[in-house]
Amino acid sequence: MIDSGSIKQLAGHPIDRRDFLKVLGWSGAAVALSGCGNTSVEDGKETVVSYVEANDYMIPGVGVYYNSTCAQCDAGCSINGRVREGRVLKLEGNPDSGINKGKMCGLGQAGVQDHYNPDRVREPLLRNGAKGETITWEKAYALIAEKLNGVKGEEIAFLSGGVSGHLKVLLGNYLDSIGSKNHFVYEALSPAGVRAANLKSYGVALPRYRLDKAKVVLSFGADFLGSWISPMHFSQQYAQFRKGADGQRGVLIQVESKMSLTGANADRWLVVKPGTEGVLALGIIHALGTASGEIAELVKAYDRVTVSKATGVSVSQIDKIAALLKLRSPSLVLAGSAVEGYAHGAQNAIAINLLNHVLGNVGKTIEAPVAVPFPQLAPSVGNTASLKALNDGLAAGRYKVMFSYATNPVFTAPGAFKFKDSMAKAGFKVAFAHYLDETALQADLVLPLDSALEDWGTQIPEYLADGMQLNIQQPLMEKLHANTRSMGDILLALVKQRRVEDYKGFEDYYAYLRSSLLQNKGALGAGGSDDDNFWNEALTKGILKIASSAAMLSDRAAASGLQLPKAEEVDAKFPMHFIPGVTASMRDGRHANQPWLQESPDPLTTIVWDSWVEIHPKKAFELGIAEGDIVEVTSKTGSIKAQAYLFSGIHPEAVSVPLGRGHEALGRYAKGFGVNPFGILDAVYDKETGELAMHETRVSIKKTGARVLIVKDEGAAGGLQMGRKIAVSKTTDQVDLSEEV
Amino acid sequence: MSVSNLLENWSQFRHAHPVDDKPHDPYKWAMSIDLDACTGCNACSIACYAENNIPVVGKERFQHGQQMHWMRIERYWDEDGRDFPDQGAQFLPMMCQQCEAAPCETVCPVAATNHTADGLNSQIYNRCVGSRYCSANCPFKVRYFNWYDYPTDEAVWPAEMRQQLNPDVSVRSKGVMEKCTFCVQRLSAAKSVAKSEGRIVREGEVQTACQQSCPTGAISFGNLVDPESRVHKQWQAQRVELDKDKQAKDEHEEGTDLRGYRILEELRPYPSVMYLERVRESAV
Amino acid sequence: MKDIREDIAWAKINQDVMKSLENPRRLYWVILFVAICAFGVGVACEIYQYRTGMGVANLNNPQVWGLYIATFIFWIGMSHSGTLLSAILHLMHADWRKPIYRFAEAMTTFSLMTAGLFVMVHIGRLWQFYYSLPYPNERGIWPNFQSPLLWDAMAIFTYLSSSILFLFVGMIPDLAIARDNMADGWRKKLYTLLALGWEGTDRQWRNFRVTYLTIACFLIPLAVSVHSIVASDFAMSQAPGWHVTSFPPYFVAGALYSGCAAIITLFIILRYTFRFEEYMTKSILKKIVRLTFAIAMIWTYLNAVEFAAVWYSHDEASKAVLIEKATGTYAPFWWGMIFCGSVVPLVFAFERFQTNIPVLFATSLLLNLGMWLERWMIIAPTFSHGIYPWTWDHDQWPSMVQWGMVFGSFGWFTLLFMIFCKVFPSVSMYEVKEMVYHRTLHLKKSETAEQGAH
Repeated sequence: MIDSGSIKQLAGHPIDRRDFLKVLGWSGAAVALSGCGNTSVEDGKETVVSYVEANDYMIPGVGVYYNSTCAQCDAGCSINGRVREGRVLKLEGNPDSGINKGKMCGLGQAGVQDHYNPDRVREPLLRNGAKGETITWEKAYALIAEKLNGVKGEEIAFLSGGVSGHLKVLLGNYLDSIGSKNHFVYEALSPAGVRAANLKSYGVALPRYRLDKAKVVLSFGADFLGSWISPMHFSQQYAQFRKGADGQRGVLIQVESKMSLTGANADRWLVVKPGTEGVLALGIIHALGTASGEIAELVKAYDRVTVSKATGVSVSQIDKIAALLKLRSPSLVLAGSAVEGYAHGAQNAIAINLLNHVLGNVGKTIEAPVAVPFPQLAPSVGNTASLKALNDGLAAGRYKVMFSYATNPVFTAPGAFKFKDSMAKAGFKVAFAHYLDETALQADLVLPLDSALEDWGTQIPEYLADGMQLNIQQPLMEKLHANTRSMGDILLALVKQRRVEDYKGFEDYYAYLRSSLLQNKGALGAGGSDDDNFWNEALTKGILKIASSAAMLSDRAAASGLQLPKAEEVDAKFPMHFIPGVTASMRDGRHANQPWLQESPDPLTTIVWDSWVEIHPKKAFELGIAEGDIVEVTSKTGSIKAQAYLFSGIHPEAVSVPLGRGHEALGRYAKGFGVNPFGILDAVYDKETGELAMHETRVSIKKTGARVLIVKDEGAAGGLQMGRKIAVSKTTDQVDLSEEV
Repeated sequence: MSVSNLLENWSQFRHAHPVDDKPHDPYKWAMSIDLDACTGCNACSIACYAENNIPVVGKERFQHGQQMHWMRIERYWDEDGRDFPDQGAQFLPMMCQQCEAAPCETVCPVAATNHTADGLNSQIYNRCVGSRYCSANCPFKVRYFNWYDYPTDEAVWPAEMRQQLNPDVSVRSKGVMEKCTFCVQRLSAAKSVAKSEGRIVREGEVQTACQQSCPTGAISFGNLVDPESRVHKQWQAQRVELDKDKQAKDEHEEGTDLRGYRILEELRPYPSVMYLERVRESAV
Repeated sequence: MKDIREDIAWAKINQDVMKSLENPRRLYWVILFVAICAFGVGVACEIYQYRTGMGVANLNNPQVWGLYIATFIFWIGMSHSGTLLSAILHLMHADWRKPIYRFAEAMTTFSLMTAGLFVMVHIGRLWQFYYSLPYPNERGIWPNFQSPLLWDAMAIFTYLSSSILFLFVGMIPDLAIARDNMADGWRKKLYTLLALGWEGTDRQWRNFRVTYLTIACFLIPLAVSVHSIVASDFAMSQAPGWHVTSFPPYFVAGALYSGCAAIITLFIILRYTFRFEEYMTKSILKKIVRLTFAIAMIWTYLNAVEFAAVWYSHDEASKAVLIEKATGTYAPFWWGMIFCGSVVPLVFAFERFQTNIPVLFATSLLLNLGMWLERWMIIAPTFSHGIYPWTWDHDQWPSMVQWGMVFGSFGWFTLLFMIFCKVFPSVSMYEVKEMVYHRTLHLKKSETAEQGAH
């Protein structure tokens, strides 16, 4: 059966969504087709076409495409799902979205593996000793009501990941209804330090970064091509940046202590002593010689020689960068996750942001973001300070009831928090989960959620790359498991326990969403169109583009009070810097049970299915470590053991272990693979923001004597071409890019 | 099974590629990959897994070298002896180059791999007996053999995940060879639609899964003999010709300031994939 | 120099050989039992591989071929022994071949059968191996005649069928003797059937001689071409280390080498087991040993030619493979091959070792080990260190399944061979009589040959 690739949305057909879903309805089990090559064609022939009276737009063998929103990360890319015979097969990017413009990253592709994952929780589970008993939803809701009865609002804690859109509204209303203000929004990996710095430097948490307009991008540890903020959007801007608006190829300089994916694509990758990124930025400002006033005063002490000694970057290199920045304008200077992981992290980022002011980039490549016209839908972004607050409360025994949604703190909390123990002190713990992850396993009640591809919702990402848009999430197929529920439906049911009158008009979350959007359709750009048309248009497009005004950018550079620490003494017991690596696929580990991601080689090391310790070859030689040796990485908090990988893209005094693996639960593809660096993170905080300083942990390295063969994609030649002309490179003075297409 | 059938078709079937008197018409699928735009993100590789029902083999089998990625992202370092990789890394997406004079095609004992009229190297799963000579002869080693029976392996495709399988692509059982097909199922679908409209496939109408996913648009794919196609314009601008083993622009000692090249061209497989060299700024 | 005693009566020849069919030494049974066990191991391994997939052999990308192909070539190589002795030496009128060529021919046939088995176990979908045959099918598809593997299939079939024919035709007079000297029973029926009514008339002998000679002349180029074709599996590929024009003669030389070494081994075993000391004499042994030595030197030369050609070529990839062979993961095996193939045969240059049975037995086994290693060392280093560095894999080793099947193949061959020797006369009676007959021409007229002239 041939799929017609050109049939996209079926505009012009009055699609009644609900009828359509009913028509689709067969649940997962019946769909397990036998077309896998080994059983006969006769088997399963009855299930090839299930409906006696299919609607006229359902043609077996022809795919239908629906738009929705990807939930694998919080960039909010819009996806286009290919659906055939009622099942979603593959996700593509939605070309209409200003965020990803039709492109999809590997993490997004793996969204189908999250949806079809065999380890999803399918029934509500109630703890009975060490086991979980299946209970009905009615019982679960009743139990929650019972446990909340008589409990004061301040004794209730609700932990969630970042939320936006209508779910945020409903969640807020629910917490209101039970009298609690304790909504802890936690993301293990969040640019909280950069946000704080940006507020000081530009007046907004995240301005619009215009890489496509820049001639030079000087990125301090911002992995914008890999995992930083909105990689799909930045990647496309990067492509334009390389072509250059006037034909001159953009130059990327990356400054970091451990090579990220973006660093691997830099024209110049500069390794710095961990934590000294801000010092380098001030050194460059000094070398530019164009600063005045407050800033000039500040950078007086940061002459090239001092800075070179402190950072490890050579004087000539500093000069080259300054020269290039002067010559090619506008440029763009980014402060990324790597710089904010220190006790002086926010200060680091502010120092780096100063460069944009000095270079006159503010207003050119640093643009004002859009103001979200519906603040109640605007994202509540997560950070780690909230987890600390929650942990402190839990440890003090303050909470009788705790809820957890879209977060796995038992896995991602720094080991120093001893979060599992703290959590045990809460009276009654409810986890809204897709999987029995480490946190769900500690809960008393686990409520199974619909997957992102089965769910309704609206979403607004923190970083609005291309104007204001409201992302719509709609089911791409009927739900696989009969007893999972949409988080929206759950919250609706829960809020109805307290506020029946307000919500009785909404049969389910879908009704709530539809009603809310229709009520505001004027503001959402619908103008005079009728309800059904507006709704169908919204669903068809998958996004609603909304006219909006820009926020205000401050052009006052925040230089006063900026203080960067001097070099500190090294603790002899823990001499090495520990850099927990963030990879685009694994991130904070929530996707570790998606096998495509486990089997996708890490771009820099090509290692799969396991963790590793990146160590510079010089350091390794000094310590007698060879590739594959199992080394023990010990911090004050704890230790982990992993295979050593010699990697020259790291500062010799630092080692790096990637985050995301080392699960003890979550599922068959996650459990038992790798080690969890979150567990050895010390409790050090950014002095200014209170955020966890992820890069401040110091460690010692020791060989254990064991050795393994590293499982990786590269062969015995490693990254060498052995004289064969395979991957060829030229410098800009050797190529003529003018004739290119 | 007539001998005349054999003799008549033989010369067409086994006509040496590439040829001037039998040019590809109306399609010759080709690709061009810009190594300066490729960021090494691996999105293309994962999209390929999703589109083509490629099995995930798991850690142990990956260690044995039995992984199945039709598209692999290779990562090379500069070999200048410096302590740090100052110019980053170099990523290279490598998949079946759909060679015009493919070394794999001639050596298959059962004719399971052949050249199609539109310039693809075809792999016929149900004809393959698994002698693996094609892989032995492939200089790029981009052919992947099904060492185990993945469709019946619960660890690879548990019942729930089987629903994700693309029905347009066979799921291969043990003992057959597979490789990148330039998403031939999408090409067939597009050609079918075009044919019913009485025309050929236009530029931009069909995309391979990798091309569609690539965030920086590093992959161009299309019909090389269509002058409107991007891929045709790129090959032309780079002065790379399909049927030459040494390009005219490479005749000069100093080389050329154009970026286009093909890998292992001197072995004369006449690959259909052109790569554009990575560029690094000389001023910094 | 007499190869066998001149005064052996023809009847005695008949008796000795026929008795071997009834009553071998106990060693025969031991060998048979071990062979069955080894074959059993091989079968078990294949069943496991058939059901689970080729992955259990520990093959991977790029090492897609392993011991199956290496051992396949080894067995094809072994098969050249028979042709060498039966056909080539026949044309050269080397009489000393006469007592030993029968079992050498049998060796050829069974080696080919064993090699054929390896083709089948090596392919991923054994149950569809017939796709490689040009049989009428509903799709109208022919196999690919451009492929050296297909030439292999054609050549081996031809060679096998011709060898069987040759073996059979050559045995007809002996089968007649067996028929006439055998008590009633299934054996007599078998021999009667196979002897095709041979009466030993002049006309029959004349036809026989012509037929035999024709097949011999046909078989010699066939043998050369078969192993050249097998060599072209490699030579026609452009993998570094394979794309060498000297491969066909190199392989043929290696084949003759390994065949001769196997002849020595089997000679020693059969001589003892079937009490053939009168016929498989030390002087014949000495001759075969010297022939082996000569071939060893030729092989050594061709090996050196291969290295030299690689060295002075401009092919960096091939040079790298050669260096890798000598210094890389597989170096111990490669040097082992050089030692067993070029150094060990020097023992044969010393006259006192040329008839020393224990030394010859050990040496011949080492020579064959060397030849087996040679086939493996053609395959593994090229795959592990090919043109494309990203796919280099220096850590792949064959799994126990592969070793099990290699071991099993020896069991299979030995099993077939031993059964052959027990059912059919493994010394050619009529040809030995010819040797004696020629000599008796010079005997005094008074002394006549005893009864039983055939």
